[in-house]
Amino acid sequence: MATFQLQVVTMDGLIYDGEVESISLRSVHGDIAILAKHIDYCTAIGMGTATVRLPDGTEQKAACMGGMLSMMDNLCRVIPTTWEWSNEIDVERAESAKKAAQERLDDARLSNEARVRAEAKLRRALVRLSSAGK
Amino acid sequence: MAASNMKAVKLRIKSVQNTMQITKAMQLVAASKLRKAKEKADHSKPYLNILKSTLTDIARENNDFQSPYTKSGADENRWLYIVIAGDRGLAGGYNSNLFKFMEAERAGKDIDVLPVGKKAVEYFRRRGVNILTEEYAEVARISVSDSFGIAKLICNEFSANHYGHVMLCYTDFVSMLSQIPRAISFLPLSDLLEHTLEWEEMNDDGKNSAAKKAAEDVAASLEAKDLGVILYEPDSESVFNTIVPEYLAGLVYTSVNISVASELAARRTAMEAATDNAGEMIEKLSLYYNRARQASITQEITEIVAGAEGQ
Repeated sequence: MATFQLQVVTMDGLIYDGEVESISLRSVHGDIAILAKHIDYCTAIGMGTATVRLPDGTEQKAACMGGMLSMMDNLCRVIPTTWEWSNEIDVERAESAKKAAQERLDDARLSNEARVRAEAKLRRALVRLSSAGK
Repeated sequence: MAASNMKAVKLRIKSVQNTMQITKAMQLVAASKLRKAKEKADHSKPYLNILKSTLTDIARENNDFQSPYTKSGADENRWLYIVIAGDRGLAGGYNSNLFKFMEAERAGKDIDVLPVGKKAVEYFRRRGVNILTEEYAEVARISVSDSFGIAKLICNEFSANHYGHVMLCYTDFVSMLSQIPRAISFLPLSDLLEHTLEWEEMNDDGKNSAAKKAAEDVAASLEAKDLGVILYEPDSESVFNTIVPEYLAGLVYTSVNISVASELAARRTAMEAATDNAGEMIEKLSLYYNRARQASITQEITEIVAGAEGQ
C-alpha cells in the first residue's frame, strides 16, 4: 500500500517522523482517516484514540487530544496537545484521575466552572483508558 | 605591620574563600541544570516551527475570513507585553539586560504587562506599570497547562478589544556565552506574518533541526505551488480559532524554556567569573599576608638583635 510521511510533534518534542500507511483519529467533527495522496487538508483534533498503521502492517494506538492535523503535499503533520502511545499510558494514574473526577462530579454543590473542569478531566481519563485498551 | 593587620587579612581570605565556595557551587548547579533546560528548549523547538509554518500557510492563503485574532478593534497604542524574566538574581546581566530592552520597547506606548518570573513582577510593580495578572510569577513552575492558561487569557483579553497589540519579550539563547533579549509579536496575526521572516532569520543559527528544515521545505513548496485548495473541516475560520490559542500556548511554553536556558547560561558565566575573581583575590591577599608575616618576623629579629647589641 502507498505510504506517506507522518510527523507527530508536541510540545515535548518530535514524537514520530516516518512513513506510514494510514492514520486515523478523532477530529472535532468526527472520526477521520488519512491515507496517502489525501487532498490538502486541515482540521482541529478532538479527543480520542489515534491509530497509526505502519508500512509493515502493524498498528500502533495512542491517546490523541487537542491541536490540529494538516495534510499538505503528502506530508501529514499532527500537532496535538497530548499524544501518548498506548504502551506509555499510565493506566493507574488515569484510573485514579477518573475516580477523582467522578467523585467531584457527584458533588451537587460544585460550581459551574469546576464542573466543566472535572468533566474535561474525566473525559481525558476515559480517552486514556480506552486508548490503553483497558 | 602589626599582628592585628595580619589577622584582618586572614579573616578576609577566609571570607573570600567562603564566597568562592558558594559561587563555585552555584556555577556547578547552573551548569548541570542548563544541560537539562537546553534539552527541553531544543525539544520544544520543532513543535513551534511546524505549528508556525502551518499557521502561516493558512493565514497567507486566507485573506478574507474573519477571525477575532486577525484584527483588533482596540486603540492601536494599547499594548500588552508578556515579559519573561528570572525568579532570582545573581545571573549576570540576564534580568537587567531584559529590563533595559523593555524600557526601550515601551517608550511612547501605553502598556500593560503580564510578568512571568519574580524579578519581572518586582520590577514592574516598582515602576508602577499596570500588571494584568501575577498568577504566573514563578517562571520555574510554568507548566504546559500554565502556558495554555496564559494563551487563553491573552486570547480573551484580545477578543474583548482591550489591547491593540500583544507582544512577548524573552531572552533568546544564542550560545552558551551570549543571550539576547528579544520581542516577538503575538497578536494580531497580521503582526505575526510581518514578524515571521525576522523570526526565521534569527532562528537560523546554522544548527537547523531536521524537523525545521522539513517544515521550511514544505512551506517553500507550498508557496511555489500557489495555494488555495486546502480543505478545511469544519471550516478555515473555526480551525483557525481553535489553533491560535494552541499556537500561542506553544509560543509561551517554548519562550519560557528558552529563557530559562538563557538564565542558567548567564548565571553559569557570571558565577564562573566570580569564582575566578575570588581565586585571584585570594592569591593577592595571601601574597599580602605572607609579606606582612615576613615583615613582622624581620621586625622581631631586628628588635632582638638591637636588644642584644644594646646590652
